[in-house]
Amino acid sequence: MSINSAGFLLFLALAAAAYYLLPKPRRWLVLLGASAFFYLSYSPAAAVYLLLTVAVTYAAAHILDTLRRQERAALEEHRDDRSLIKKRGKRRRRIVLGAALVVNFATLALFKYLDAWLGTASRLLGLFGVEQSFGPLGLLLPLGISFYIFQTSGYLIDVYRGRVKPEGNFLRYTLFTCWFPQMIQGPINRFDKLQPQLLRGNDFDPEKIRAAIQLMIWGVLKKAFIADPLAPAVAELFDNFTQYSGASLLLGSALYCVQLYADFSGGTDLVRGASALFGVEMAENFNRPYFARSMDEFWRRWHMSLGEWMKDYLFYPLALSGPMNRLGKRLRTRFGPRAGKLAAPCLSTVVVFLMVGLWQGPGFSNIAYGLWNGGLMSLAMIFSPFFTRINERLGLDEKNLPFRVFQSLRVCSLVVIGRYFSRATSFMQALRMLKRTVLHFGWSSLGAETFLSFGLAGTDWLRIGVAAGVLLAVELLLEKGVPLRKRLDDSPEWVQFSLLFAAVLLLTACVYLNTDYTAIMYVYENV
Amino acid sequence: MEELLNILTENCPGIDFEGQEHLIDDGILDSLNIVMLVGELNEAFDISIGAEDLVPENFNSLEAIYALVQRLADE
Repeated sequence: MSINSAGFLLFLALAAAAYYLLPKPRRWLVLLGASAFFYLSYSPAAAVYLLLTVAVTYAAAHILDTLRRQERAALEEHRDDRSLIKKRGKRRRRIVLGAALVVNFATLALFKYLDAWLGTASRLLGLFGVEQSFGPLGLLLPLGISFYIFQTSGYLIDVYRGRVKPEGNFLRYTLFTCWFPQMIQGPINRFDKLQPQLLRGNDFDPEKIRAAIQLMIWGVLKKAFIADPLAPAVAELFDNFTQYSGASLLLGSALYCVQLYADFSGGTDLVRGASALFGVEMAENFNRPYFARSMDEFWRRWHMSLGEWMKDYLFYPLALSGPMNRLGKRLRTRFGPRAGKLAAPCLSTVVVFLMVGLWQGPGFSNIAYGLWNGGLMSLAMIFSPFFTRINERLGLDEKNLPFRVFQSLRVCSLVVIGRYFSRATSFMQALRMLKRTVLHFGWSSLGAETFLSFGLAGTDWLRIGVAAGVLLAVELLLEKGVPLRKRLDDSPEWVQFSLLFAAVLLLTACVYLNTDYTAIMYVYENV
Repeated sequence: MEELLNILTENCPGIDFEGQEHLIDDGILDSLNIVMLVGELNEAFDISIGAEDLVPENFNSLEAIYALVQRLADE
């Protein structure tokens, strides 16, 4: 069942009606039933792998809790050997956590990376004259696997750290893992935030339902009027890059940035709205990222739930680990205190972004994308005092509007270059496109006829331009702190009705009456 | 408390730690600041701040950081 279909709307309406009709203590069962129906409608076979993850992480969380309780009891009984008991308890819990995480990420690797790695191994052996082909297994990627593996791993680490109590009821835990709005493209939710909302039986609140519907419509508008119409032009430029000038390729990457944002944030709005229909507020994923003034800030505004996950469960443990600590001390003795301080955060940032790149796919281009972002952020940390001095000498500060615009444009430019790697189908393609951009730029090629050569007509560009302009205007106002949602709610009813009517009319005209239109799969639907 | 305040202001110049209640929630302290601070605090107070201690509640204010240092020093 596509989430951009009339069938999904009907499913949502029926599920919401059933939810609010049942007594509060039983309402979570509707959420579980709806999630099971939604997942099974995609692929019954994939549900087996989902259940495997649920079973492994459910059991591991309980073993972790039991070990923690045993440790506490032992501490009370033997007050003299506290340090030894704690050490032993921590080691046991680490083994259990490690084993469960290995199973979790091995499952992800099996489906997502194994075929690509087998292909690379075959090619590498071929270089040494060994003709050994490891055929692709061709396993179907289970829906939402990248999201539920990360979500359940985060839950396990939280239980290990004693931050949350494990869920005792297997069915309730299954609901946390397979809550249907998060299965298409996240967000990656946290147990302590999501689970209470799923279980408590939320009140029917017309205001919240209205806000949820507004958010869903806004998300679908972004997808239908910006992301989907741009997709063919972006595909044309990347697939046939040898036929275009460097300027066109740069434009192609910039268009991909717009497409991806409208697609991913639009999809997130839609699923967050769908979840809010049941009174369940999921994690935020976007906070107007293209207004960021540094790459660090960009990544705190883009795919926020993944960024938070990486920070809490990978960056901090890595940066505070024993080897990093020792490396920092060694560099401090050799190169001074600043080098010692920066070693751990810089190296950990590179590793984190390597993982962010791999999270998107197994190719070298994904690794390059991660290294590009991690490298830029590490360089920014290293040269930060230098940039501060330059800014001070030039008298530039945060209050200077042209400087702030320059900073945002600088971030956008770096993101556009990085997207060569994340959109290209191979690392070599990205390099060849970049080479073409630098060596054969060709300003003069950016005429009106060029835009019409990407497969879109003038009216298509006009429609996309107007839609992107509206999106930019809305985001600018929100960035300036204008409370648009409140203004909309406070506006006369005829204004609200007209806007709703216009949105529904536009969507109907675009999606349902246009026989050429087919909703394109979300970019992150198959990661 | 004074020693702690000195370490904090030395490592994060420009941040006024006194009177702040939402250092993490308001984005005043970022992950880079925190990692650098943890290294300094571990060394100065002979404690071991782990990743599990890096939650907003422990770093939102000077008092919260002091309480964390005290707790770990007592363990």
